Amino acid sequence: MADGAGRSDDQPGAEGGTDRRGFLKTLSGAFLSLWALGGAGAIAAYMRAPEHNESSNERVVRIGRLEDLRIGEARLVRHGVSPFFVIRTGAEHVIALSAVCTHVRCILAYDHERRGLICPCHDGRFDLNGNVVSGPPPRALPTYEVSTRAGEVFVRV
Amino acid sequence: MSTLASETPARTRRDRAVDWIDARINLSELFSFLTHFGLIYTPVDTRRPLRDVLEQIRTTPLESYARWPHILGLLTALLFALEAVSGILLAFYYQPTALGAYDSTRSIVRDVMLGWLVHHVHMWGSWLLVAVVLVRMIRLFWDGLYQAPRELLWFSAVALAWLVIQLDFTGLLLPWDEQSYWSAVRGLEIVWALPIVGPMLSALVGGRTMSEDVLNRFYVLHIIVLPVLYLAFVYLTFATMRRVGLSRVGGVAPKLTTFRRHASDLVIITLLLFAGLVTLSTLMPFQFHGPADPYRTPKGTLPPWYMLAPYALFQLPLPRWIPGLALVGTAFTLPFLPAIVRAAGNRLDDKRLRMAGLAVFGLWLVLSVLGAFVDRR
Amino acid sequence: MSAHAKEKGMGLWRRATALTLLLLPLAFLLASGAFAAARKTGDGKVTKASGRCGSCHPDERVAFEKSRHAGEDMHCTSCHGGNDQSLDEAGAHQGNGWRGKITRAQDPAMCASCHADEKVMQPYDLPVDQYSQYQTSGHGKLLAKGDGKVAVCSDCHGAHDVLSAHDPASRTYVTNIPRTCGTCHGDTTLVRERKMKDTYHEYLGSVHAKSLFDKGNLKAPTCVSCHGVHGAAPSDIGNVNKVCGRCHTAERRYFKSGPHAAAMAAEQMAECSSCHGDHGIAPSETARLASSCVKCHDKGSKDEVLGATLLADYQSAAEAIEKAEKVVARADAVPIQTEDYKARIEEAHTYLFEALTAAHAVSPEAMSGYTTRARSVGEEIQEELGSKLQNITVEKLFLLVFWFYVIVTIGIIRRFRDAGPRAVK
Ligand code: HEM
Ligand code: FES
Repeated sequence: MADGAGRSDDQPGAEGGTDRRGFLKTLSGAFLSLWALGGAGAIAAYMRAPEHNESSNERVVRIGRLEDLRIGEARLVRHGVSPFFVIRTGAEHVIALSAVCTHVRCILAYDHERRGLICPCHDGRFDLNGNVVSGPPPRALPTYEVSTRAGEVFVRV
Repeated sequence: MSTLASETPARTRRDRAVDWIDARINLSELFSFLTHFGLIYTPVDTRRPLRDVLEQIRTTPLESYARWPHILGLLTALLFALEAVSGILLAFYYQPTALGAYDSTRSIVRDVMLGWLVHHVHMWGSWLLVAVVLVRMIRLFWDGLYQAPRELLWFSAVALAWLVIQLDFTGLLLPWDEQSYWSAVRGLEIVWALPIVGPMLSALVGGRTMSEDVLNRFYVLHIIVLPVLYLAFVYLTFATMRRVGLSRVGGVAPKLTTFRRHASDLVIITLLLFAGLVTLSTLMPFQFHGPADPYRTPKGTLPPWYMLAPYALFQLPLPRWIPGLALVGTAFTLPFLPAIVRAAGNRLDDKRLRMAGLAVFGLWLVLSVLGAFVDRR
Repeated sequence: MSAHAKEKGMGLWRRATALTLLLLPLAFLLASGAFAAARKTGDGKVTKASGRCGSCHPDERVAFEKSRHAGEDMHCTSCHGGNDQSLDEAGAHQGNGWRGKITRAQDPAMCASCHADEKVMQPYDLPVDQYSQYQTSGHGKLLAKGDGKVAVCSDCHGAHDVLSAHDPASRTYVTNIPRTCGTCHGDTTLVRERKMKDTYHEYLGSVHAKSLFDKGNLKAPTCVSCHGVHGAAPSDIGNVNKVCGRCHTAERRYFKSGPHAAAMAAEQMAECSSCHGDHGIAPSETARLASSCVKCHDKGSKDEVLGATLLADYQSAAEAIEKAEKVVARADAVPIQTEDYKARIEEAHTYLFEALTAAHAVSPEAMSGYTTRARSVGEEIQEELGSKLQNITVEKLFLLVFWFYVIVTIGIIRRFRDAGPRAVK
């Protein structure tokens, strides 16, 4: 009974002892088991959650280590279409403010000497609090909250 | 062969495994349950030992439905299974909130490894499934398979078509992109315009206007309520089929085969189906749209294609309840077609009925084409 | 208390209540009559600022009470003289330097009596030079010549209802200034009569006005930004460029460094306004890089060709960015991660703006620094994203392997299938 339809292909191999058949069978088995392997691999790959650091929903941006920022130095962080400056103004004090001019959205440059931001397009100027000092920009720059945790700087945008 | 007792020394490892299981749980019950879903075909006696049951399954000749035109019924089940698998995978990442829907869908397609494949397979699968259930309905009608004793088959075919369209409609909203959002809005407008049923459905769905509530309800309908109902009707389909047998169109009896051949065919079809979906997904991926903006309607957004005909009807210069009543009327007569035909008696012969069906189908096509263009005046 | 007494008490109560109810309307009538009477005379109520003047001049009083002056130590009499405590007209209209109606000619000097006094103005941190400025202005000079139709203080500030320039309701608030000047400089009959330009309506069509009114940019220039406030005067040739350059600093810098500055000065030509116009300044248009040359230079001359070169340079850069944006849109439809590219395009837009600014030097060298950068950003993005889009074809190649696998599997299953017996029976 056990040698019914389901096992009829085993029998020639078992009786005739032809190696070729046995070999073919193992080969087929190996081949088919690759499906299981591939399927498991694919699902495992799919299940690995991607890192979320670049989602547009992300509110907190990691900037890097505090000691990598020199005092008085500004770093332009490219955060999608709304880049911002992170400026270390003192040993413990780090500020972050938008790098997008409020006039017609040019990207500002940091002026180390005057401790302010200058717009290359129409020479609009801002101080480090984001206030307009001169030029066409109509509004102050948005500033962002900065927090330092374990020597690591985060900006909440 | 069947005289071999289970205690023969020729017992293979497989036999021993079967006996081991059989001593602990009654797998026959499970197989009996599976017969309802058409995979295993033989009536299974749950009191007999598993080995006997397996043997019986193996040796009983059966009519294979893995052939045209019966394959349409198989495809409604197989495609649904593929949709369920890919849908469950999607649900691992998808977030049904106004804030998260778009981002999570985009993240599936863009950032998750192989996520694009799962997403596109799900989308293409839904397309095919809608096509398959509609074609199947047409073929059942054409071959008169709503007549006794197949009324239930027809009824569940109509129900499956309706469910698939609901699944597709609810699913399409989920990515919450500009296209899906606005085409769902168009669709909801149609639903709302239906007399009596409209307000009821709108209440079910969370309101007449699009909102996060609607998204959440669509999600629940999409991944739980409708799939469960769908399974119920798949059961009904196979249950009637096992009772009344496959149809014999033109008096040709389906060929008998063995379970082994039948099962092999099923695996091959599944494999081909999957490979086909993967191919479509790779070569013709769906376009990914921008996020939904409730304050800006993209130009020329239409409801999903199967809603174009009602959409066109509602654009006619008639009071809304007239096309509404026509639609609701059609929707309610369709499942009860067998009873209506019987009531009509001999006045409707097969040929006339077919022509009438053809006319309705033609009208639907024309209206659909119209619906695609009315807005672009 | 006995039941009887109680009843009696109740009866009394009831009567009293009825009486009160009856009398109440009567009392109300009486009271309201009294109030009405009080109100009638109340018009002449003595307020700190206007004294009794309001009894006869209610409109003026109302306007004055709302003004910036009213809260300070200012009264009707401060300007008009007379006695604001007097109960009759004759008494009110005399003494204390009674002036009655102030004529237009008197107005500036009268305001100056306080506003030019450092001591008075000091607590308010207001300048004291408005009057002297006014005397140098076009308005002031004509007034001195006896032209009574020119603007005096009250035309812009109001007479009784003087408000602070920081008050949005004030006629001198930034957004109201154009309309205030426009009451004369946009009055069609007056403009025709006095042969002036209708500069108000010209201004309304300008980018400056759009920025001010539509975008609410309070930094956008109004009339006074260029012509001065109290010393209002037409800007002359040497000055217009300085006026524009106050905001358009970078443009002016480039312009000064270019060949136009000296040449135009020699020809007595206004610098900015020669190309851009004055009151009705139109939005900058890149095509003008080439098209405005022929106003002065011969067609086909090397100067005109230079303009065309600048335009072509700019356009090729702008086009590269546009193409890059299209590739980004294509990548978004896949979707592919594009945030970084969008950030770079944003930067490239800055370069494009800078290029237009630098174009004021009319030198290809000054401009090409920026256009080259913009172009290379555009081209890089096209290339990088383009190759990422190409990478999708790798997936298509993988499809071949997949199908090979599927077909072999099907072969194996078919072998398994056919190894069994055919149909039973
Ligand atoms: C148990 C079964 C199912 C589950 C758990 C499921 C789950 C999901 C989930 C989570 C999504 C959102 C993810 C995404 O948008 O990529 C989705 C989308 C979708 N589903 Fe299903 N689904 C199931 C069955 C079906 C069926 C049978 C159909 C066919 C009619 C269908 C059609 C769609 C469509 C058209 C979408 C939109 C795809 C998109 O644009 O992303 N689903 N499904
Ligand atoms: S864009 Fe910054 S000043 Fe114009």
